[in-house]
Amino acid sequence: MLKVGIKFQVARAMQFSGSARAADENVDYLFKIILIGDSNVGKTCVVQHFRSGVYTETQQNTIGVDFTVRSLEIDGKKVKMQVWDTAGQERFRTITQSYYRSAHAAIIAYDLTRRSTFESVPHWIHEIEKYGAANLIIMLIGNKCDLWENRHVLFEDACTLAEKYGLLAVLETSAKESRNIDEVFVLMARELIARNSLQLYGESALNNLPLDSSPVLVAQGPTEKTHCTC
Amino acid sequence: MALRSAQGDGHTSSRWDGGAGKTDFDAKRKKKVAEIHQALNSDPTDVAALRRLAISEGGLLTDEIRRKVWPKLLNVNSSEPPPVPEQNLRQMSKDYQQVLLDVRRSLRRFPPGCLPCSSASLPAPRPPTGMPEEQREGLQEELIDIILLVLERNPQLHYYQGYHDIVVTFLLVVGKRLATSLVEKLSTHHVRDFMDPTMDNTKHILNYLMPIIDQVNPELHDFMQSAEVGTIFALSWLITWFGHVLSDFRHVVRLYDFFLACHPLMPIYFAAVIVLYREQEVLDCDCDMASVHHLLSQIPQDLPYETLISRAGDLFVQFPPSELARKAAAHQQAEKTAASTFKDFELVSAQQRPDMVLRQRFRGLLRPEDRTKDVLTKPRTNRFVKLAVMGLTVALGAAALAVVKSALEWAPKFQLQLFP
Repeated sequence: MLKVGIKFQVARAMQFSGSARAADENVDYLFKIILIGDSNVGKTCVVQHFRSGVYTETQQNTIGVDFTVRSLEIDGKKVKMQVWDTAGQERFRTITQSYYRSAHAAIIAYDLTRRSTFESVPHWIHEIEKYGAANLIIMLIGNKCDLWENRHVLFEDACTLAEKYGLLAVLETSAKESRNIDEVFVLMARELIARNSLQLYGESALNNLPLDSSPVLVAQGPTEKTHCTC
Repeated sequence: MALRSAQGDGHTSSRWDGGAGKTDFDAKRKKKVAEIHQALNSDPTDVAALRRLAISEGGLLTDEIRRKVWPKLLNVNSSEPPPVPEQNLRQMSKDYQQVLLDVRRSLRRFPPGCLPCSSASLPAPRPPTGMPEEQREGLQEELIDIILLVLERNPQLHYYQGYHDIVVTFLLVVGKRLATSLVEKLSTHHVRDFMDPTMDNTKHILNYLMPIIDQVNPELHDFMQSAEVGTIFALSWLITWFGHVLSDFRHVVRLYDFFLACHPLMPIYFAAVIVLYREQEVLDCDCDMASVHHLLSQIPQDLPYETLISRAGDLFVQFPPSELARKAAAHQQAEKTAASTFKDFELVSAQQRPDMVLRQRFRGLLRPEDRTKDVLTKPRTNRFVKLAVMGLTVALGAAALAVVKSALEWAPKFQLQLFP
């Protein structure tokens, strides 16, 4: 089964103005990404795995907001990804909201073994629309795909939702089994670079991308690896 | 069931002797134990002395003493039967799911040293990592029971992520029975503001942080303001009394001795002291929000706790909450009207050199009068730090009591029923 749904929104990308070339001379881009979603869907484990490649069984709940940084090299460009990990409990939202507006992109995470965390996704999208900059890129990830026996959210449902709200992509991930974590951030970085280039150099940079806004359901990158075999 | 820390009577604070000889250390310690028992046994109990002893170097020394003194500090009668839970508490509670999620992943809060045993003289088995699973699971169930019971009995209180970090500390030190009573008292007093339906009061308390830093080190304050770091890096410190961020349980209980004996705003003074202690690291950091936030939120595990505790006491006496309340309120106003983060964001995007922009802003902000203030303020603090800890803490107790009334004028929203 295909596990990656992608939608390019080239028309909207023209408005995109957020990505910055970093002051650090060793870095070509600095992108700020906010990671949100219900409590205990595994946000911190995802971001920790992205940073260090390690899954922490004893991860505590997050209080407030924390940052993690990792540099990626994409097509010869050095990209610094600054990921803002947030607390999931509702009462912390007034605090996390103030961090939305300086983000270039958002990743919404749900736990595919808990339906309620998926049902909250439209609410999180609404939060982004309300507090984030215009045309923030949004990606959806269904975490804990190692627990496929307890799956309560079909990948197809997630794709339908992503299409409905015009999200960039849906990926199913597992921080525990190292599935699709780096792919999420690489895909996000590529999109941000593409939109930034589009803004800087016009459309030529994106000539190879489909210009319609219909969803493209493909497995990205190193195909075998990104598939969740569950 | 009472729990004993395996470190128990040994080295509650590794820094207690501060380089003095072993004999000297033993003598001081023995003297302190005697003083504590004297205060406990006097009729009526000498709570003022217990407060002083809880604050002064080494705190209450052992968990055995804590089991006796913590109830006195909270004015809880430890012989009273604990509140009895309703049946089906788990089915009825609206918070059960969240509490369950948080307690299940609180494994780190059950350190290997904390093992229940009936007598301190029994050799406690120490597994290399963590507590035995079976025992930990039993304690996690008790932790859930305590939280749900307190919430059920006090419907005005709202659960927050981090509350369980406070409750687990009490559970591990005094056991389930007594922890229930102590936590209930604490929840309706010291941490009451954190349990409001919203986090407004919590944010208001965080607003005390920058004015305290400004009083001591305006340069550091201005740097942090320019970075627009905010105060959220200290949120988990405040609402868990540092239980969430410190990995050594001995440090956590030492701080709890201190906070239980002090004004409810003391944790924010302690937070300020940590930031001030890390001045050079902060100033060496890039002047942008993410860098400074990240640096500060990663709390060093080898802090000189006794020094910082006495320094926090100094600051409280020098700049009591009543004095800071107006500034804290002003800070809140400034935050509301600023909305400058977004402007910076746009500016940074346009200029493509975020750090440069912020650095220039920062240079512009350093006013000459601030430098003068800096020179005037710093030596004063250093002098205070040199004062003997015991003498200071006596003053602290008095000052803490003295400010209660005046603080109320400025911060009417606070629960300032500090001392029972």
